[in-house]
Amino acid sequence: MNSVPVRILVREASFYTPVANKLALFSLSKRRSRVPQAILKRIADGEQDAVQDCLKAYGGLVWSLARRMLRNTDEAEDAVQEIFVDIWKNAARFDASQASETTFVAMIARRRLIDKIRFAQRRISADSLEDALVEPAGSSDKEMQTLVEGREAMKALGKLRPEQRQVLQLSIVHGLSHQEISDAIGMPLGTVKTHARRGLLQVREILGYGKLAKEVTA
Amino acid sequence: MNEQKEERLLDLLCKRVSEGLTADEQTELSELETTVDSPVDLHSLELTAAAIATSSVRSDEQMPDHLKAGILARADEHFAEQNKASDRVVRTNVENEKTSMPIWGWLGWAAAAIACIALAVNIYQTRSDDRATGSPTPTPVPQIVSPAEKRQQFLAGATDVIRADWGQGNMKDLTVGGDVVWSEAKQEGYLRFRNLPQNDTSQYTYQLWIFDESQDEKTPIDGGTFDVNADGEIVVPIDAALRARGAKAFAITMEKPGGVMVSKREKVVALAAVKPSTA
Repeated sequence: MNSVPVRILVREASFYTPVANKLALFSLSKRRSRVPQAILKRIADGEQDAVQDCLKAYGGLVWSLARRMLRNTDEAEDAVQEIFVDIWKNAARFDASQASETTFVAMIARRRLIDKIRFAQRRISADSLEDALVEPAGSSDKEMQTLVEGREAMKALGKLRPEQRQVLQLSIVHGLSHQEISDAIGMPLGTVKTHARRGLLQVREILGYGKLAKEVTA
Repeated sequence: MNEQKEERLLDLLCKRVSEGLTADEQTELSELETTVDSPVDLHSLELTAAAIATSSVRSDEQMPDHLKAGILARADEHFAEQNKASDRVVRTNVENEKTSMPIWGWLGWAAAAIACIALAVNIYQTRSDDRATGSPTPTPVPQIVSPAEKRQQFLAGATDVIRADWGQGNMKDLTVGGDVVWSEAKQEGYLRFRNLPQNDTSQYTYQLWIFDESQDEKTPIDGGTFDVNADGEIVVPIDAALRARGAKAFAITMEKPGGVMVSKREKVVALAAVKPSTA
């Protein structure tokens, strides 16, 4: 028997504890109570009618993420169909104490989209790259109707240095690789990586996702 | 040295959630995760990136209608398949059944047998009458293929099958026999168990995890949940949530009903590591 998985399992077991989980994420679940939480539970219970509600609530979100990250309508349509199957399969794993349904759905979607980009080895076209660069940064666009979670994330992004925010938006929102960002905005690759990492960790702290690990290791 | 490793681990985690990793980077990340104790975990970074991604999404954005229709059609397929798979466990080894039975038990079976004979006679007479009056032929009942039969068909048809035997997990009093077979090309596989205890479905379920080259070892691919309601040898089809590439190991854990997204791995029932020669 290969010993590697066993070692990982022992380490994992000490990494998560239910008590710490509840304590760390209490503020998150309280803050996100305005968002409907029942759709994924209904799907997990085998209620097919909930699929309509799921599409109504999250169809636009998934479609938007796919379109921005893949930038090819055919690829985006294929990806969206696969993402919804992933959502149905993973619905039972949604935990309202960790995140909102919207964030959970976006997480599942991004996993699939990153997978698609990576294995297709997509190189972004010059036109679409230009689109990404000239698009409003978002944080200053008061007229845009955004999701509740999006507004919270936008506030968090607003606390970052401008260059960190730009790198994170190009990376996370538009799906550009660090090298592509470096080439596009003329920033050294190492600096792009540093901004991406520091920005991501800072937003993680602001949104409260870093509390779990801190409390467990404290 | 440890600081350097922790820095590298953070780099890889951030790259993983922003653009994904190459196979070599994934291997490096997996190794670092086992040796470096970092306060930053992949799941929290994934949630952070997901939240950031929603910041640019308009709440009134809608997907095209034809795409909605396509997804609804897939929902029909998915839920039909889910219903069919709701009892995924099939007993394939009936020899394990006990043969001793009290006398009242035999009386019950005798009464049931008489009822079956009466029903058969009634059906025969009814069908004879139907034929005489020219009624349409009854709809043929589709043949149901058991998971064990599907496994045999799969083994006969797949050309890239890897196989791994179950070994002990962290439950020292439990030794489960059997194996896993998996085809990467078909993204299909089957678990075969001996001595896997029946579970109280109100208390817990079994869940499969696939460790592969594309995923972090902290968050292996969910291979689906299943319940065991029979003794003897059982066969369960694998229901992977994501595409598995370069499967390295399989693990069965006991989880709350419905399964979990991230296992605490407190009760690992069995582990199966793929030997390099079979991969």
